[in-house]
Amino acid sequence: MNWLANPIFRRYCRSRLRPNGLIAWLLVTLVLTGFTFFLARLSAMHRGGVLSVDAERMAIFPLMVIQGIILFFLGTGQVAGGITGEADEGVLDYQRLSPLTPVQKMLGYLFGLPVREWLLFFSTMPFSLWCFVQGKVPFAAWGSVYLIFISSAILYHLTGLTAGLVIRNKRWAFLSSMAMILLLYTVMPQVAKMGLLFFDYLTIWPVLDENLPSMLPRVTGEVVRVVQLFSKKVSLFNLQFSELVFTLFCQGGMLLALGTMVCRRWRRAESHLLGKSGAALLFVWLQTFLLGNALPLIKEGDVFPSKSFAFVLRNNKTYEPDFSEGLFVIIAYGVVTMVLLLALVYMITPAADVQLRGIRRAKKLGLPRVPIATDAASAWMWAMAMLSAGAVAWYLFAERILASDWFPDHTLPWYGLLAFWVVLLNAVMIFHAIVEGWGNRAIFLFGLFVGVVPLLLSFVVGVVADGWLTTSVWLGSLSPWSGAVLAPPVVIPGAELPSSVARAVPRAFYFCQCIMLIVNGVLWIKLRQKLQQRSAIAT
Amino acid sequence: MDDAMPDNKNAAIDIRDLRVDYGEFLAVNDVTLQVPQGEVFGLVGPNGAGKTSTFRVLATLMEPTYGEVKLAGVDIQEHQEQARRLIGYMPDLAPVPSDLKVWEFLDMFAESHGIQSAKARRARVDECLEQVQMLDARGKFCKELSRGQTQRVVLAKTLLHNPKVLILDEPASGMDPLSRRQLRLVLRQLASEGATVIVSSHILGELAEMCTSLCVMNGGRLLASGTVDEVRRELGRQERVLGVVVRERVDEAAVWLGARSFIKEVTISERRLAFHFEGDEADQASLLKELLSEGFEVLAYEEQKSSFEDILVKIAEGGR
Repeated sequence: MNWLANPIFRRYCRSRLRPNGLIAWLLVTLVLTGFTFFLARLSAMHRGGVLSVDAERMAIFPLMVIQGIILFFLGTGQVAGGITGEADEGVLDYQRLSPLTPVQKMLGYLFGLPVREWLLFFSTMPFSLWCFVQGKVPFAAWGSVYLIFISSAILYHLTGLTAGLVIRNKRWAFLSSMAMILLLYTVMPQVAKMGLLFFDYLTIWPVLDENLPSMLPRVTGEVVRVVQLFSKKVSLFNLQFSELVFTLFCQGGMLLALGTMVCRRWRRAESHLLGKSGAALLFVWLQTFLLGNALPLIKEGDVFPSKSFAFVLRNNKTYEPDFSEGLFVIIAYGVVTMVLLLALVYMITPAADVQLRGIRRAKKLGLPRVPIATDAASAWMWAMAMLSAGAVAWYLFAERILASDWFPDHTLPWYGLLAFWVVLLNAVMIFHAIVEGWGNRAIFLFGLFVGVVPLLLSFVVGVVADGWLTTSVWLGSLSPWSGAVLAPPVVIPGAELPSSVARAVPRAFYFCQCIMLIVNGVLWIKLRQKLQQRSAIAT
Repeated sequence: MDDAMPDNKNAAIDIRDLRVDYGEFLAVNDVTLQVPQGEVFGLVGPNGAGKTSTFRVLATLMEPTYGEVKLAGVDIQEHQEQARRLIGYMPDLAPVPSDLKVWEFLDMFAESHGIQSAKARRARVDECLEQVQMLDARGKFCKELSRGQTQRVVLAKTLLHNPKVLILDEPASGMDPLSRRQLRLVLRQLASEGATVIVSSHILGELAEMCTSLCVMNGGRLLASGTVDEVRRELGRQERVLGVVVRERVDEAAVWLGARSFIKEVTISERRLAFHFEGDEADQASLLKELLSEGFEVLAYEEQKSSFEDILVKIAEGGR
């Protein structure tokens, strides 16, 4: 593909590579990179008494940090802020009208907006290349790391582009894309330690880890290599992949999903980011990966965070996870599933005016109802389908954990599936009903006062004194989103809760879930009435 | 009104039953309209009349609640990409990217529209800038342009791919009289070459001079359409204002007229009397006879045409 033939890419080459701005940025980057390069190498050579080959490798990672800041942070921020700025100025509409295909437009912005950052990145590469060649780092090692480095940058830039098309404020778009990357590199690796590896593969860590021995000074590298002998290849159910292939696979899937969102927004500015079937597909795909990664880790205990500590403490052979840890990873899976569901359901739930427009159009066309896969259709059926799939995946994960050799005294009864389903039903369908019936402001207030405040209050009350723990549990269970935390200890027989809350937890859980079921029913009826009102207004 | 529109299969712009809603607010209400090829068609109406919504639907930037729109025979919802090749759209307060030079801005769109060779693009960009008399500004940054110059540059951008249908929302705003004159000439020339232009403006006199036909819109509905005179007659028939010039006894004539039940709001300006008159043409003739029989020496007796501005102000105020 001839990139320069893309008019949008060329437009940004012109505006963002003007000598005035570019030279200043280039000078700063080269000075900083040069300083890091020489300082790391020369100090190792002359002060550290390290052999030449090893000294050359000392600069690799500091340089990579600079490259990461340029490409991941500045580049993503530039994409998100740039596209929001274009929308803000009003010139984005010109591009909508130009006869380029949505994919051409997406690629033009994706590589055009951060073109200066790409250039700065490539300007630092000679320093890295020097280190690789002089440090005798095999091409396969640094080549795969940089392949993933670049694919990760593209993924983050595309996320920034999607954020920029959704968020109207330039500064917020910039900040939220920064926050997304920070989250990905700080919080998500912790989630990955609980077996939910998928999120880790959206970063460069797995491939970097794999190739670490070849890129570190040789002695340190050999130590890491020995450690790595005990680690396994990543699995998806029974299939095994190299870190590189699996990372490309995960990132490719996310690129496809985000690309679909951007193209939909190019076709129609008011479109949902994903269609209803697209969101359902994405959810199933994510669940397949989460489950496919986690299940093979159970047998050896790698799904439990303490396993890595056990390895460090050299009690690997006698390792045995505590049951509370099993409970913890089951809860983590439920929480991640719930968060994904809420995000996707929010994405496909129509606003009142979109729905009203759809009803009017259907009436005009003589259709009995709004076609169920269109943006204007109610999302409740899709939400039900997705939450049911989520409950099954959660149940499967929990069941496999408890059926493993680690916890012979525990099993998950069949009604666990029902409990997980009810928990997700209450959390997701109440959320959906409020978004569809009463809009964003209502869900914000509901989320704050019913979803978050009871949880925060419960923490505060819980730390006051042991005598208040029961109240704390009851308060926390008022939040529809606490169900994912409370359900596993309640439905798994033999789950030993602290005596102070052993009675309160099941009671609070069952009582609040029953109340929420009633609220859910009431909201469902109210939502039907709202839809009937909208239908009446439409005529 | 809508029923009166001809069923023109060769219409360059063919809108049927177009409706646009924003929640419970109805912006465009079942509008049906055909504009033949080669017309410069004006859309007039007060703020909130539904003009911009109609234009955004025509430009494929907004999905209507329902309705069918065909541009040069192409259904814009079914064949959006194809329709976009036919359209030249200039929005109200047309924006330009602040970080590009004028020629770079135009060059990008020339390439988007398939002009691959740099030489051909340069020639086309210069041709369009020449058309709007902005060739001198080709090397300037867009942010250095005045409002009127910006409008002209965006107009040049709109012309780049020789669109068959030009949709211009308030194109003359911010332009000086010379530029407006130039705009008129450009639009007429484009129309004579077969393009169809649909244009809105708040400078109504300007629109009347620019357009071969127009329609008036308010509250999302079309109130009247046709040539400028036809529309004025259609909307102004309730606004019959008569003027009489008498040789002397001006005050006496004013009193005599004011005493008539079908005459209101008599005003005097030197020897000229103007008043609102209720009645048809026969009534108007008998009033003249009576004036003469009363012994007033009438130098002139005529129906004063309401200005477009007056009509539109009344439409806007009356919510017609």
